Order: sequence, then C-alpha cells, then structure tokens
Amino acid sequence: MQRSLISAHAATPSILRRYVFTTDHKVIGVQYFFLSLAAVLVGSFLSLLMRIQLVWPKVRIPFRGELKPEDYLALLTMHGTLMVFFVLSTVPQNGFGSYFLPLQLGASETSFPRLNMAGFWITLVSFFVLISAFFVPGGASLAGWTQYAPLSALAAAGPGQGMGTDLWLVSIGLFCLGSVMSAVNFIATTLRKRAPGMRLMRMPLTCWAWFVTAILILLAFSLLFVAAVMLLGDRHAGTSFFIPGGLIVSGRPVDHSGGSPLLWQHLFWFFGHPEVYIAVLPAMGVTSHLLSVFARKPVFGYRAMVGASIAIGALGFMVWGHHMFVSGMNPAAGFAFSTLTTAIAVPSAVKTFNWLGTIYGGRIRFATPMLFSAGFVSLFITGGLTGPLLAQPALDAYVHDTYFVVAHFHLIMAMAGLFAVFAATYFWFPKMFGRMMNERLGALHFWITLLGAYATFMPMHLLGLAGHPRRYSALTGVQYVAAMAPLQKFITVAAIITISGQIVFLVNLFWSLRKGPAADANPWHCTTLEWTLPSPTPAAGFGGREPVVTGSAYEYGDHGAVEDFVMQDAAPKTGASAL
Amino acid sequence: MSTALRLALVLITLACIALFLLHPWWFPVPASAQAPALDHGLKTALWLLGGLFIAGQIVLALFLGLKRSNSSSRHWYGNWRLEIGWTAAIAAIFFWFNVSGGGLWSRMTSADVHSGALRVEVTGVQFQWYFRYPGPDGAFGRVDAPKFARPDEGNPLGLDPGDPAGKDDIVSSTLVLPVDHPVELDLRAQDVIHSVFIPAMRLKQDAVPGMDIRTRFTPTQIGNYELVCSQLCGLGHYRMKATVRVVSEEEFKYWLKSQTAGRENPGMK
Amino acid sequence: MSITSERVDVKHKPKLGGGGPGKIPYRRGYGGGGDDGDHGRPEDFFSSGQRLRRGRIGIAAGIVCVTALFIGLTVVYVARLGTPHWDEALHREVYGWKPLALPYGLLWVNSTLLVLSSVALELARRSMLEKSEFATMGIRPPRLKLDPPWLAITVVLGFGFLAGQLWVWNGFRSQGLFLRGNPSSSLFYLITGLHAAHLAGGLIVLLYTACGSWLRMRFESQRIAVEITSWYWHFVGVLWFGIFALLHFAKG
Ligand code: HEA
Ligand code: HEA
Ligand code: CUA
Ligand SMILES: [Cu+2]
Repeated sequence: MQRSLISAHAATPSILRRYVFTTDHKVIGVQYFFLSLAAVLVGSFLSLLMRIQLVWPKVRIPFRGELKPEDYLALLTMHGTLMVFFVLSTVPQNGFGSYFLPLQLGASETSFPRLNMAGFWITLVSFFVLISAFFVPGGASLAGWTQYAPLSALAAAGPGQGMGTDLWLVSIGLFCLGSVMSAVNFIATTLRKRAPGMRLMRMPLTCWAWFVTAILILLAFSLLFVAAVMLLGDRHAGTSFFIPGGLIVSGRPVDHSGGSPLLWQHLFWFFGHPEVYIAVLPAMGVTSHLLSVFARKPVFGYRAMVGASIAIGALGFMVWGHHMFVSGMNPAAGFAFSTLTTAIAVPSAVKTFNWLGTIYGGRIRFATPMLFSAGFVSLFITGGLTGPLLAQPALDAYVHDTYFVVAHFHLIMAMAGLFAVFAATYFWFPKMFGRMMNERLGALHFWITLLGAYATFMPMHLLGLAGHPRRYSALTGVQYVAAMAPLQKFITVAAIITISGQIVFLVNLFWSLRKGPAADANPWHCTTLEWTLPSPTPAAGFGGREPVVTGSAYEYGDHGAVEDFVMQDAAPKTGASAL
Repeated sequence: MSTALRLALVLITLACIALFLLHPWWFPVPASAQAPALDHGLKTALWLLGGLFIAGQIVLALFLGLKRSNSSSRHWYGNWRLEIGWTAAIAAIFFWFNVSGGGLWSRMTSADVHSGALRVEVTGVQFQWYFRYPGPDGAFGRVDAPKFARPDEGNPLGLDPGDPAGKDDIVSSTLVLPVDHPVELDLRAQDVIHSVFIPAMRLKQDAVPGMDIRTRFTPTQIGNYELVCSQLCGLGHYRMKATVRVVSEEEFKYWLKSQTAGRENPGMK
Repeated sequence: MSITSERVDVKHKPKLGGGGPGKIPYRRGYGGGGDDGDHGRPEDFFSSGQRLRRGRIGIAAGIVCVTALFIGLTVVYVARLGTPHWDEALHREVYGWKPLALPYGLLWVNSTLLVLSSVALELARRSMLEKSEFATMGIRPPRLKLDPPWLAITVVLGFGFLAGQLWVWNGFRSQGLFLRGNPSSSLFYLITGLHAAHLAGGLIVLLYTACGSWLRMRFESQRIAVEITSWYWHFVGVLWFGIFALLHFAKG
C-alpha cells in the first residue's frame, strides 16, 4: 500500500517525509488504517484456521500439515491479541481519530505531530514483534490473550511459553507506549486545538468518544505496562510476583515462592475491562454521529450521550472483578463487582435508547454507512444483553469460560466494533481518498456480514449453556463436548462464509482507491468541519483559513435554508436572511 | 433497502427465538442440590433478557421504517422527561434482576461447613485430576510435592511417607461420591491454574496453585458425570477430565474399604 | 491515488442560514477553550506561547499516566504486604514478607539532592524567563547580578541522585537482598527502579536543553523546554517522597 501512496506523488519533494516518516496527522491516520487492515486480515485468517481445526482436525493446511493442539492455542492467543489490540484498539481510535479529530475540531495539525508519528512507528514495531512469535522455536504463546500466570510465567509449562510469550509481553509493552503517546496527543489536541466557537458541548460525539477513550488509555495501559514488566521479571529476573511456592511443572520443581496468581488477574483485568470500552467507545461515537447524519435528525439527547460516555469511562475502572467470580476471589467482593457491573450497563442502555431516538421518524438514507450503523445497534443490543446475565456471580459461575462468554464478546465487541469500523470506512473514505466506495458492493458486504455474524455467534450461546468450555483445541477430549460437534460444524461453515464475504469489502476498498468516482467536498451533506474541505483533504488542512464555529454539530432537518442541514461554521443568521 | 433491512432484523429475531425455544443443545440434567435453583435463575434471566432483546430489535426495525415528514419530529434534540424515564426504567429492571440473583450466590458460597460434609481434596496437575480421601482416620496426611511427588511410583501428589496420617489416605482418579450427602471439595493445583467444572452439578471453581479454595455441593442423583477443566492450562486442557461416580451410601462405603484394603504405601490404586 | 490533494482553496461555500440552540453571533475566540490561534501557519504553530500551553497540557497528561502507574504499584505493594500465601511444604498460610532495613542516611542524602535539583531548576526557569522578557523588550539583560548555570547544576544534582540510588542498591546487594528472593526486595527494586527510570528520562531532556546552546537550539525553545520539563521534574521529586514514605511506613 505504502508504495502506491508514494508513487502517486513522486513529483513532490522528499516522498519519505510526506508518506512514510510523516508528521501529518492525516497520513498517520491512513497508516494506522492499513496497519489495522493487515492485522484484521491476519486475525481473521487465524480464526478461520481455528474453526477448521476444531471441527475437521484431519484437514491439512498448506505448508503446515495437520494442526496440533498447541497450534490451536497459539492461533487462539494471536487471534485474540491481534483483534483486541491491533484492530479494535487501533483503527477506531488512532486510525480515524488521528485523521479526523483535528479536522472536526477545526485544526490543521495535532498538538504533538512528532509524538503522533512516534506512536505509530512504535505500534508498528510491536505488531511485527507479535507476529514474529510464530516463527521462533516453540511458536507463539499458548496462554490466551489474558496470559494468566503461572501458565504464562513458566517457560516449562508448554511449547509456546518460552520465547513466544516473551515476544508477546515485549510487543504488548511497546503497544502500551505507542498508545499512551497518541493518547497524550489526543488529549492536548482536544483541549487546545478547538477552533474559535468550538465549545466542548458543540463537539461532534466522535470527538467526545476519542477524548474519553484517550483518558482511559492513559490510565489503563500504564497498569498493563507494569504488569508486563513484572511478568517479565518473574520469567527472567527470578522475582516471584505471580508464582507461588511448591510448584512442580513437567516433573521439575520450580524454585519460586510467595507469588500470587490472582495478582496477575487483578492487574490484567483492571486494564482489561477499560480496554474493552476503549475498543467500543469510539465505535459508539461513530455510530451516534452516523445515525444522526443519515437520519437527517439531530442526535437525540446529545448531553445524555456525552454523560453516558463519561459514566462508562469512569465506571469502567470499577468492574474488573466480574471476570474473576470463580477465580478464588473473595465471594463477598463478587457482590460489589456485580452491582457496579450492573451500574455500567445502564449508561450503555441509555446510549442504545438515544440511538433509537435519533433514527425515530427521520428521513433515513440507507447508504452503506447507515446500514452498518444500524447493524451496530442491533448487534450491540444482542451482545450487550448477555452482559447483565454474566454480571450475576451465581449465573456466571456456570457459563464462565464457556462459549457463552465467547458469544457475548464476539457479538458486542468483535462484530459490533467492526461494524462501526466498516461504517466509518465507507463514510470517511471520500474524505480520505477523494473517491466514493461502491454502494452495491457495500450493501452486499453488509448483508453477508450481518447474517454471517448472527449465524456464527448466536449458536455459541447454546454451546455455552450446554457447558462447552472455551479454549478447547479439540472436541474429542470430552464426551458431552464431542456431542456438540454438529453445532460447531455449523458455526465453522458460517464463519467461513462470513470471512470470505470480507473479500467483497477488500475488492471494493482497493478498486475504489483507484477507480471510484471522484467525491465532491461534502457527499453525505454533513455539518462537521472536515466536510468544509475539498476531498481528499488538502495536505495543508484548513491552510490558513480559520473556521469559526457558530453552531452545534447536528443541525439536521429544515431550518428554512436550502439544504436540510447547517454547516457548523455557517455564517450566523442575520435578520435579513430570516424567513 | 429500508424494508429489506427491517425484514432481515425481524427474521433474525425470529430465528434467534426459534434457536432458544428449540434449543437442540441445552443444560445437562440437574444432578445436585443447587442445580434446580440455578437453572431457574438462568431461565428467568434468559426470559427477561430475551424479552428485552426482542423489544430492542423490533423497536429498531420499526424506527428504521416510519417516516414522519412533519419537521417537528425532525427537530428533536431530546426530551429530558423521556430520557429520565427510560433511564430509571432500565436501571430498575437491571438492578432488580441483579439483586434477585444475589441470594443464590450467597447460598452457593456460604461458608457454613456442613457438619457431616465429606471432604475430598481435588488436585489438578497438567493434565489430569487426582482425588484424595482422608481415609478411616479422617485426617489428610502431609503433602510435600516438590520433595516426594513421584507419579511413576504411584505417589503423584507427593504424600509424605513419614506421616502416619497419610498412610490410609486414598488417592483416586475418579471422584466417587455418596448420593444426597454434602461434599466439600478442597481445590489444589500443582502447576498452573485449573478449574473444576461439573456441568451436571452446576459447579465451577478454579483450582489455583498456592491457594486453598473450598467449594461445596450435594449430588442428588446416582450416575456417572463428567468433570472437565475449564481454565486454560496448556496443551492438554481439552482432555483434562475425570469421571464423577455418584453412588449409594453403602456402595460408597464398600468402595472406600476396597480402596484401603491391605495397602501399605499411599498413592494411586 | 493520492491521500491528500494540493488544492487549498475552498470550493465549498459554507452553508448560509442556520439555527439550532446555543447559536450565538460569532465573537472571535468565543467559547472554544483551545483557541490556539494555530491554523496551519508555521509561525502560529511555533509561536512560543502556544508551544508552552500545548506542552503543559501534554506533560500534565503524561504525569497523570505515570501517577496511575505508581498508584498501581503502591496498591500491589500494600496488598502483597498484607496477604499471606499458601505454603505447600508447610501446608499452611505464611507471611513471606521480610521487612527491609532501609539505609536512611543515604536515602535522606538522595532526597536532599533531589530537592536541591528542583530548586535549581526553578531558579533556572526564572532566570531564563527574565532573559526572554528582556529579549522581547530588546534590552540586553543587565550583567549586574551573577547568574550561575542553574540548568547544569540541576543536571549534576540529578545525576547525583541516580548515583545515590545505585549506591543504595549496591548496599542491598552486599546484604544479599536481590531482585529475586523476597517480595519485599523485589518490589523495592521494581518501584525504585521504575522511579529512577522516569527520573532519568527527565534528566536526558534537561541535559539536552542544557547543551542546547551548543546544539544551536533557539533560546526560546530552550526556555520552553525548561518550563515544561520543570513540571515533570518537580512531579518526579514529589513522587520520590511518596515512595520513600511508602517504604518507611509500610515496612511490614
Ligand atoms: C466492546 C467490548 C465489550 C463490551 C461493551 C461489554 C459489555 C458488557 N460486558 Fe463484557 N466482555 C467483553 C467485552 C465487552 N463487554 C470481553 C472481551 C469479555 C471476555 C474477556 C475474556 O474472558 O476473554 C467480556 C466478558 C464479560 C464478563 C465476564 C464473563 C466471564 O468471563 O465469565 C462479564 C461479567 O459480568 C461481562 C459483562 C458485561 C456487561 C454487563 C456489559 C455491559 O456494558 C453491556 C451493556 C449493554 C446492554 C445492557 C445492552 C443495552 C440494550 C438494551 C437494554 C436493549 C433494550 C432496548 C429496548 C427494550 C428498546 N463481560
Ligand atoms: C475484535 C475482536 C475479534 C474479532 C473481530 C474476532 C473475529 C472472529 N473470532 Fe474471535 N476472539 C476474540 C476477538 C475477536 N474475534 C477474542 C478476544 C478471543 C478470545 C481469545 C482467548 O480466548 O484468549 C476470541 C476467540 C475466538 C474463539 C474462541 C476459541 C476458543 O475459545 O476455543 C473463536 C471460536 O470460534 C473465535 C472465532 C472468531 C471468528 C470466526 C471471527 C471471524 O473472523 C468473524 C468474521 C471476521 C470479520 C467480519 C472481520 C473482517 C474485517 C475486515 C476484513 C476488515 C475490517 C478492518 C478495517 C476496515 C481496518 N474467536
Ligand atoms: Cu487444566 Cu485446563
Ligand atoms: Cu469486563
């Protein structure tokens, strides 16, 4: 990809500066976008292999032969890590955020362009470090994306627990650095770079989401960083933070003592739960934004939306224990976490209601971005509603670590999150690349993915209720699990269809990059500032012209004006032009 | 496109309802004292949340369709009465639901040790389970895994040969339990975290190395059940299982005798 | 395909009309807190006032992040201190925490060095501010009162602190207290080590700015660097006393 970007502008001086080591937030946004695209393709491919190995263990993969249990677990770990970190924590926030946060605020540059660039390059390095784990002796880590100690702390505990796990930890450490850097940049940009008149309560909800998420990143990733350092200490410096005494692994005593495995879980989930909201808040922002644009109505309950985002962000740090109900944690603590978790479900529900309120009675335009936004709402409701069930310790004790949980988080995080990413892609593509994406292909892609998502992940609830544990690399080990093979086969078929359906998206993306019809400045008739610029965005952004914001971000519907919307920087209504 | 999308949403909802009503796979037979209560809890949850699911999807499908051309509705910036109303409503539902489930949890985890509870020590080792009974003297012998553990010599747990209390301990690879008799499991792990999961008993509890975790239940139906590991513990996680044999009191007594009969060194039979 | 176009002129005329709530006749810089006055013109972007405010927010965010990190460590420390763990061999819960004997003399020396360095940095900041004010007035600063190289002094004191910490660690090593072994010493090394690392970060920036004049750094940017770093530096100092207090009061 990068190469074609370069060739496009061979004329201008120092291509390297403009498209590779650039401090232009727009280019950095695009770089993040393609990084995530690569990550999601790898991640989806891994999930494909997993699904196939699970139900047809005998199938031979090219260059790899039959997959072994350790392969499955390595695929699983990498799948989860890639998707959570390098897809959903990267493209919605750093990808679209880097590109559009300054523009929507009316600035031509972020506060710390170099920090922004550094953030991207560190993230890129950490991506390659993670991938490289596949090619070291022992292969990638087996311990899942949660890397529970002591499994993750003892190299002897499994094939991938040697170098593979070290690489995982290093990669995540780097990822923390990169994300924090860009988060600092986002916060400073939001606070300092707003155009005149852009009051906080006039910001598009996307900007609010990016801002709150940046704060979450600041607080959550620092903890994960510490945890990673401590785990590396246990693995190589002989400390015993997470390794208790008296262990025997593969017949050999372990000379550690005094560590607590639960400590890792507390540290990880104190990061991990905010992380899932880091993944979904920008997606929520995009959805709120797009629903308003395509329903041609103001966002319903703008203030409530902002409040809910902040509430979710704050509560997100108080609920981590709901991942640990049966971990041996004090049952009394279970109550507290359960109540707080229920509390966090309320603002999420409020957002859902406001989305419904926003589309209510609008003259909806069903362009592809709208389709995906509607899909987001549907999937968010479906995936979210299992949350309150999981939040009950007694009920969670039964479905914990079963496919029920897998269903929960794929519907609400994986699928809903990606729907928002798709929506944003179709929506902002013209502004980013100056061309429109193909609507027919877009619709086709939407239908495959929507039906595929439900077909793949809905049945997993039944597996879970029937007691099918997660992270089983084969169905043959346990009788009652083996009995569920037919349903697993169905899921695999659905997954294969869904994933191959993404080819439509890729074709559309790369075809439109070159051949798509040229886009005018404001194809969707939006009010926000990025659409006052020509498409694609000029390198100089607003280039000297300073936008002056005079209205809220969601002025849709008749205002006596020619169009049914009012740009945020429209000249204020004078007595004369009144009707 | 509008109608297609709305139709799709309705059909998806119907499909999901059908999936759950037909449920080709469902809870295993309840075989413990706490199982019926838990099943009831789960089913109420599914009904409640299922109802909200249907409501949500249908409302979404509706709103995607109906157009109101009079611009008043399209100037809607919000309606604080409405918002407070539904916030309160959904909060009430969720919290009522949450509180209603609390009792079950406290009953499941209440620390009241049944006087006559049968104590069994469960130890998870990559990748199998060991069950230790105190034997006639009712006392567990001392264990020092790093020192004495010799799986090949029939002492996988590392019972201290020097400890008399350990002489009569029974170490078995199947969990044999008397029916209708409260059991207290004493969960241990030798290497990494494992998790005891007996779906039929609706019982799940992690076994964490370096921790001494107790959990209780009462099997209520004679039969064989599968105990599996539900915490990722490495390669063999998917096949780390054991059989739970629930038998009548006297059969259980007989089994205990047969195990202790003429054995000098502790360990596997 | 290009991802940015050359055209800067705006074809798209802003829409006329408009309504909606909170619409106010436009006054320049109304509301929007962050009126950086930066609209792509380089001179705006590099105007020192903007850079200063930008930098302060950035460093504040960074400080929040580091604070979270050390709060986390503190919680870990206290929790570990308070919880017994199961000893397979002894078959009972034991408190494995060996209280540390802190070398107070040395630690106080280090603390003093750190305080002095903060003071020196503050003085450096003031004198640079003064100079730049004179510069803006176009007067050469009066040579009357002596003006020691406060920045250099800060850096030296900073290195002094690091050296002192090394000394402390060596002392522990000679007592046989290593990173491995007891949780108390592991956490001690972890926390003090991470603190030293963060301090070293600030030190590098200060060193760079101190050498700025040789590196052809513009005085103004030098000054801004100092202004911003000083916040971080004082923060790291306060952090140190927090850690010291923790180690003293929560010995176990
Ligand atoms: C984007 C990510 C995301 C989001 C948003 C959520 C949202 C929620 N999650 Fe989820 N969760 C994950 C990602 C996410 N989760 C992941 C990745 C895991 C597994 C990690 C692992 O173990 O690997 C997990 C696991 C997980 C667990 C642990 C399960 C277990 O391991 O045993 C729990 C337990 O409480 C939980 C609870 C919740 C709750 C209560 C919400 C709530 O916020 C949900 C709120 C939303 C709603 C309640 C829907 C609102 C809609 C309506 C109310 C419709 C009604 C409308 C009408 C009637 C018109 N989640
Ligand atoms: C964002 C998160 C995400 C996403 C998208 C996915 C996508 C998928 N996941 Fe993933 N999964 C996880 C996060 C995710 N998963 C996590 C965290 C775990 C837990 C790991 C662990 O236990 O440690 C997990 C575990 C997990 C399991 C459980 C395995 C087990 O426990 O034994 C399974 C099993 O079927 C599975 C299947 C799938 C499938 C079939 C897809 C499919 O691929 C869905 C179809 C794919 C798409 C629709 C996406 C395609 C998108 C694009 C091509 C481009 C979009 C990007 C841009 C525009 C930049 N996943
Ligand atoms: Cu033992 Cu999984
Ligand atoms: Cu969570």
